Amino acid sequence: MGNNFFGEEKAVILGLGELRVGTCPMGTIGLGSCIALILHDQRRSLGGLAHIMLPESRGNPDRPGKFADTATNTLIEEMERLGSTKFAIVATVVGGASMFEFSANSLNIGERNTTAVRDVLRELGIRIAHEETGGRVGRSVYYWPEGKGRIIVKRADGTCTEL
Amino acid sequence: MELDPIQMDALAELGNIGAAHAATTLSQMLMSPIEMTVPEVHAIDIADMHNYIGSEISAVVVFQIQGEVADGGYIVVSMPQEAVIQLTNQMLGTTDIGREIDDMDRSAAIEIGNIMISAFLDATAELLGIVMLPSPPALAIDMTHAAFESIVAQVAGDVNDVLIFNTELESEAPPIHGSIYMLPNTELMHQLFHMLERLMEPIS
Repeated sequence: MGNNFFGEEKAVILGLGELRVGTCPMGTIGLGSCIALILHDQRRSLGGLAHIMLPESRGNPDRPGKFADTATNTLIEEMERLGSTKFAIVATVVGGASMFEFSANSLNIGERNTTAVRDVLRELGIRIAHEETGGRVGRSVYYWPEGKGRIIVKRADGTCTEL
Repeated sequence: MELDPIQMDALAELGNIGAAHAATTLSQMLMSPIEMTVPEVHAIDIADMHNYIGSEISAVVVFQIQGEVADGGYIVVSMPQEAVIQLTNQMLGTTDIGREIDDMDRSAAIEIGNIMISAFLDATAELLGIVMLPSPPALAIDMTHAAFESIVAQVAGDVNDVLIFNTELESEAPPIHGSIYMLPNTELMHQLFHMLERLMEPIS
């Protein structure tokens, strides 16, 4: 839905719990409590994106993109297979919003997702180059791995920022 | 999550009864006829959610289903922003439709959602012979998909697909359009099926 932002045929929209590594443009639409984790390798102009839904996999391996720990590790493994080294990879973290007012309960999982992603990245020694997390706003993220990598965040109110 | 056609049907029928009651309350509040679509039940892979739930801006009012059932199922009313403004106008007798969403609209969305969902759960619970109550409502006015993500994160932690019941409500004057969604988690779903099967057993 609404996939015309890119104006490019090869662009891939990643759904909840999906991840992808490559050189084609990719993005996620309507991020709420989920996290779009983008790992970019400047030297090789390649990168990966995961649409992370929950903080911990608790040993559940079937959808690596769904959880902060498995998603980060899988992205890095796949990038290393394509020739990346950890030192060349920088991270961008977007999302993790708390979408609901009047709700102190479990629906506000965004913050836990953000913390989990930060922790995993720190453990792996990956630098976070950009971060736009939290708040009470939905976001869409678009990422072009070419060159230095280009990332655009579009918020629910229509404002766009290039990171 | 494998569902046979009979289970799908049973769930659609249960939702149909609930949605019909919700539509009636909406109709009474607006004093106008409400059209309702035939409810649909889909088992959707979480990765395909964005093909079913759009990213346009809506008011999304969420309730957890509580009472004599397993916790964790959710029920949602979503309306486009313009519809919420129309609703508030209708109830307050105001006419400005070009304005931004304000606190009164938020309050109206929550209240309407509350009344509709209470009617929905009352009707389905009566059919099943149990007590089902909505939790206090939570509201987001944002991209619909963004609001649904937190709900899916709750119901699909261990599974990779969600069961979505959906029906749409529409009124011509005032022009209001909205949807009701029900997302039972696995336990609630099994419990509902179990009760529905008992209902369908022939009386001996």
